[in-house]
Amino acid sequence: MNFRLNPGPPLDWGAVLSTRLLTKRYGSLTAVEDLDLEVSAGELFGFLGPNGAGKTTTIKMLVGLLRPTSGSARVAGIDITAEPERAKAKIGYVPDAATLYDKLSAREFLEFSGDLYHVEPRLRNRRIDALLKLFDLSERSNDFLSGYSRGMRQKVSLAAALLHDPQVLFLDEPTVGLDPQSARQMKDILQDFCKEGKTVFFSTHILEIAERMCTRLAIINRGRLVAMGSLQELRHMVGQDGQSLEQIFLELTGSREEDVSAVLRGLES
Amino acid sequence: MQGLEVGLLLWRAQLQMFLNQTIRSGKPGRIAGTIIAAAVIVLAWAWEAFVTWLAIQAAHRVPVRFDDLHLLSLAFLAYTAVLVFSSLVFSFNALLLNPDLDLLLAAPRPVESILAGRMVVQVLRLFLLSLLFTAPALIVLAVANHNALIPFGFAALYLLYPVYVVVIISLLSLLLVRFIPVGRGREVLTLFGVVLALGINLLNFLLNPALRDSGFTRRSQAPSLPDIPVASAPWLPSGWAGRSADAILSGNWLSAIGWILPLLAASAAIFVVGTIISGRLYLAGWIQAVPPRRRQAGSARGRRLKGALPLIHPVLAAIVVKDWRMRTRDLAQLVRFAMPVAFLFIIFGLRFPRLLGSIRSLGEGPAAAMLGLIPAWVLLFSLSISLGLTAVSLEGPAIWVFAASPNTTLRLLQGKCWSTALPTTTVVALLAVIAEIFIRPGWLWAATAVLLAIAQAATLTILMVGIGAVFARFDWTDARRMLHPAAAFIGMASFGIVTGASALVLGISLALASATGFPEFTTWLAAVTVSIGGAIAVAALGVLVGNERLRGLELG
Repeated sequence: MNFRLNPGPPLDWGAVLSTRLLTKRYGSLTAVEDLDLEVSAGELFGFLGPNGAGKTTTIKMLVGLLRPTSGSARVAGIDITAEPERAKAKIGYVPDAATLYDKLSAREFLEFSGDLYHVEPRLRNRRIDALLKLFDLSERSNDFLSGYSRGMRQKVSLAAALLHDPQVLFLDEPTVGLDPQSARQMKDILQDFCKEGKTVFFSTHILEIAERMCTRLAIINRGRLVAMGSLQELRHMVGQDGQSLEQIFLELTGSREEDVSAVLRGLES
Repeated sequence: MQGLEVGLLLWRAQLQMFLNQTIRSGKPGRIAGTIIAAAVIVLAWAWEAFVTWLAIQAAHRVPVRFDDLHLLSLAFLAYTAVLVFSSLVFSFNALLLNPDLDLLLAAPRPVESILAGRMVVQVLRLFLLSLLFTAPALIVLAVANHNALIPFGFAALYLLYPVYVVVIISLLSLLLVRFIPVGRGREVLTLFGVVLALGINLLNFLLNPALRDSGFTRRSQAPSLPDIPVASAPWLPSGWAGRSADAILSGNWLSAIGWILPLLAASAAIFVVGTIISGRLYLAGWIQAVPPRRRQAGSARGRRLKGALPLIHPVLAAIVVKDWRMRTRDLAQLVRFAMPVAFLFIIFGLRFPRLLGSIRSLGEGPAAAMLGLIPAWVLLFSLSISLGLTAVSLEGPAIWVFAASPNTTLRLLQGKCWSTALPTTTVVALLAVIAEIFIRPGWLWAATAVLLAIAQAATLTILMVGIGAVFARFDWTDARRMLHPAAAFIGMASFGIVTGASALVLGISLALASATGFPEFTTWLAAVTVSIGGAIAVAALGVLVGNERLRGLELG
């Protein structure tokens, strides 16, 4: 499947996302600390970490929803804190469990989204038709979103994020709630998107997907970056070639199987 | 017994949530709010106790005789109506809107115990509310009658009386939800609320002797109780409770217990049978019985709507259209539009010929022109509060859609100003024009009055949008929580201050004209200009403050 909204020449390939000492604190709680990331154009970048590691907070800072406590972040060469509107125009964002407007239909929601991103109406309508068809939503495009399943809402969110043809796409747990076909379809779309020289930055818990899809990965634990690189580089980092991403992840985030077994044995007694 | 246990568990969880959100929240605002609410309750209690004491003293001096038993039975019958309404709302909420039912039903307990637990929670809630409202009066009665057991006797009645209503209504709700399409729960609840409000008003009108005459003439006969003999019938729960309450007040404890016993027996039997039936009803399949309604393509109207807004920025037009759709498609939102109009019709429409005659008798001039604006002013108050204050909060958890887009918060506020001021100003202007056409105060006076109405409609609604932005809530799941109580209070006060100041300026202009001999219309026009200018300044300030507040938030 080849997905191209804007069949123009490919963009300049180079660093499209970078953070420097990015930190977010909520009172005494440090959610993200001194995060340094660099993602190049055309990369499909996986952002991994256990629950509460700071993945969503990082993504929300990168898309301009949260203000960093300190440090900086540049998306498409634009400082997201200094020029949020200009940076956001280059960004597509799919949140985890997106809340949408229940009393709008999918088509109306996409129209609204297109208007927010200043997409010219005729182009917007053409893209909406294409995206609804791509996500198999055409038949139910006039139904209210309140009647959509979680997976369908996820598809609508992704369609809205693609509608303005962004340069960088941020996805927070994009495959949660999707059936296997839709998850596969999403993977194809994201890979096609990257082939155009655009960038995908996504967080996931499903390591198998990350292992198969991502060109590079970063692992975050307790708000701090613990590793970044290609799968091969990560294997090299833990010193054992041939390890699966799951093993690397558990090694780097400090989750130990023997601890789990001990706790489970304790529950049985 | 398991139902009782689940009920107490749920009750404990709700109490914990209440404490966590108030005194344990650690947020100064919430703690202050809790303290203020507690102070208000204590004040209300003191006032209630004082009024009860006054009533007891008056009853000793003025020999007005009521049939106590009938009065108490009537009170319990009226309480039944309250119970029916609150139980239906609670049951529908629990079955259709609250997400925790699935969590409870997944627990390894019989379905019956979960549903019974819900009923227990509702009974306990009603019991505590009854005590909250009547405790001071009961204590004063206990002191006055030298009978310390009166509050305890009534507490027993408060605990038992709601049981049969709660159980029957829960069963009815379980039956009804089978016919309510998925996702329509809120609409059905709203419709039900409207129907019940109209029904109670109609019943009150038909049964309350105080409303039988015109309401303006002096009553020639002594006040009487509504004549509903069935209220104190010995075969109805209201009759049992009324007799028992009467016996408690007169210190006849044997009779009191004698009438509580049938209530206890009936409550226990209905609770047990109701619990079993509710389990069967649930297991027979319920909420998903009706599939959601499919919609036909309907964007033509939206396109027409958007076509009507060619002069404003596309993002603002998109917000106006989106908000219009959200407001008109959600019945609960639509009622915010419709109810003020309905009540306005009831207040003014039914007395229209007489009111029109009175205002016309003032002759041409500013007084008649301004009095003609009263319906528009009432409508403006209602719409600006309900639409303006909730405009920003309407986004709810979906605020991320806007926050992630390349637009400023000021643009969001501008869009919200358009989406609320446009319908409000249109409706208010229409009503003002119609009123002035009927009143005919002279076209110049009428034109300036309509101009003032339009300007105030726009500016006050914009001011409310600004205030709503300062107190914006995006974390609501229940639309009733959209409006922050502080926003409502400040909004109403601001409305009163702005319109009051405007009326004062207009009044001064007329007084000035009469004192100085200046042409009345000249000073009037100057006052209208000052009034509009002041309202614009206040509205602009409101938007700026609201924008600063939104800029300070992390909307995501």
